[in-house]
Amino acid sequence: MASTTAARESVPKGSDARGSGPRGSGRGPGPRGRRRRLLFGVAGGVAILVGWQLLSVVVNPAILASPVQTAIALGELASGSTLWIQVLITLRRLVIGLAVGAAAGATLGVVAGLEPRLRSFFEPFRWVGMTIPAVVIAVLAMLWFGLGDFTVMFIVALIVLPTMYVNTMAGVLAIDQKLVEMGHVYRFPRRLLLTEIYLPGVASPALAGLTLATGIGVRAVVLAEVLAAMSGVGHAFSRAMSYLETPKLYAWVVVLLALMAVIEFGFLRPVKRRALRWRKATE
Amino acid sequence: MITFAAVSKWFDSLQVLREISFQVAQGEIVSIVGPSGVGKTTILRLIAGLIQPDEGRVEVVDAVQGYVFQEPRLLPWRTALDNVAAPLRAQGCSKRQARSLAADWLARVELAGFEHYHPAELSGGMAQRVSIARAFAVQPRILLMDEPFSNMDVELKASLLVLLQRLIRQLGTTVVYVTHELLEALQLADRLLELTPERDLREVELSDRAAVARAWLAKIQPLL
Ligand SMILES: Nc1ncnc2c1ncn2[C@@H]1O[C@H](COP(=O)(O)OP(=O)(O)OP(=O)(O)O)[C@@H](O)[C@H]1O
Ligand SMILES: [Mg+2]
Repeated sequence: MASTTAARESVPKGSDARGSGPRGSGRGPGPRGRRRRLLFGVAGGVAILVGWQLLSVVVNPAILASPVQTAIALGELASGSTLWIQVLITLRRLVIGLAVGAAAGATLGVVAGLEPRLRSFFEPFRWVGMTIPAVVIAVLAMLWFGLGDFTVMFIVALIVLPTMYVNTMAGVLAIDQKLVEMGHVYRFPRRLLLTEIYLPGVASPALAGLTLATGIGVRAVVLAEVLAAMSGVGHAFSRAMSYLETPKLYAWVVVLLALMAVIEFGFLRPVKRRALRWRKATE
Repeated sequence: MITFAAVSKWFDSLQVLREISFQVAQGEIVSIVGPSGVGKTTILRLIAGLIQPDEGRVEVVDAVQGYVFQEPRLLPWRTALDNVAAPLRAQGCSKRQARSLAADWLARVELAGFEHYHPAELSGGMAQRVSIARAFAVQPRILLMDEPFSNMDVELKASLLVLLQRLIRQLGTTVVYVTHELLEALQLADRLLELTPERDLREVELSDRAAVARAWLAKIQPLL
């Protein structure tokens, strides 16, 4: 029965034209277009390395280590246990701080999106949170809690929170009211409105917010570790700086970028792909 | 069952409904016809309680409603099956129960095999049928339909009309049915209400349906 129906539906009709999309508008990349774009991406990466190498020839090596020197320093770091220990310390702080900050921001964002009065009430907090420089938050947190793990996580959470809040709230406000009406007609209880309409509708902007927040979180954790910790990648970086171990300094920068790449490709993208699977058909 | 008493509705400065009065008895099938933009959807939204009248009174006996919206209004992130199942879960069915009922209803609107498609993967007519399955599945006492069979070919429309008639007979459902197609209305409706371009609501006498149909055909004949 399904097949006869499908056949019937495949007769071209006005309404069916909507599925065909903007063909030939140049937006849809074929396999060839995609490969070409990938090539350009790789070329950009190579350009960074080449530029770095060229600069390192002319600039004082105490200021700028060459890519090769950096790679050697990185190899030395990686052969011992320090690198991995510091990375784990930083990663743990990042994950906990990010999780707490993002969860709090998302929760407050949902609440504020649903309730205009709370939205107004939170507005000054949001403004302060987004306006105050990260380094000021870090310094104040040090003042309040001293150096250490908790301070770093606190800083990360606080810096991440407003971004997550704003994105989630925007998502709630952008919820399709027609779907909400549908939910009311069919008498969805609160729980069902949340799981069927609000949460999936918010998931996409919230995930975009999480991506942003993660980027901010990595910067925040490094900043916090430079200032307020005696361990972690940020601290190691700052120590290399004090001892003028330039290749090591750059090696830590590379470690940070690698850390970010792992988070992005190992965590953020798969989560996004899974959560937004239903969109595939639209694209 | 449904009572409109001198109902007026404005959207900003635009008066859409002007002192509309009518009643629909339990189990009655009432069709509303009228040109585009005259306020047909607005009447359905008033019945569903989605908007309130600015003047006059709308009384609807509290009952389970099914609403086939003018556009399918499906949850884009849920499959066809879960779209039909969601209102059933709102009625207290377990997830498994709801899905099995939903699958039955999808089969009845000739969508067996498409249970796991997302709305973006369905054609306009198929999505509309999911919306119809969703409205029928809740076993509504009041069924509101806003041009439910647009986007569908004649055979499919005929088979869905039969399904609709059976459902109505089984449940004693009250139906308010908005359509542009007078012939469809004549086939289904006990009563026919016409919203005129002058924004009056007029009851069309249906004792001689053939005459009504002839008059309608005469009106569109110049177009043929
Ligand atoms: N939410 C709204 N805000 C402002 N104006 C509205 C709103 N809903 C409807 N209208 C106006 O009310 C009028 C009637 O709209 P309605 O949707 O009821 O028409 P309709 O008879 O269903 O038309 P169609 O056959 O094209 O669906 C239109 O002029 C429309 O612009
Ligand atoms: Mg309408």
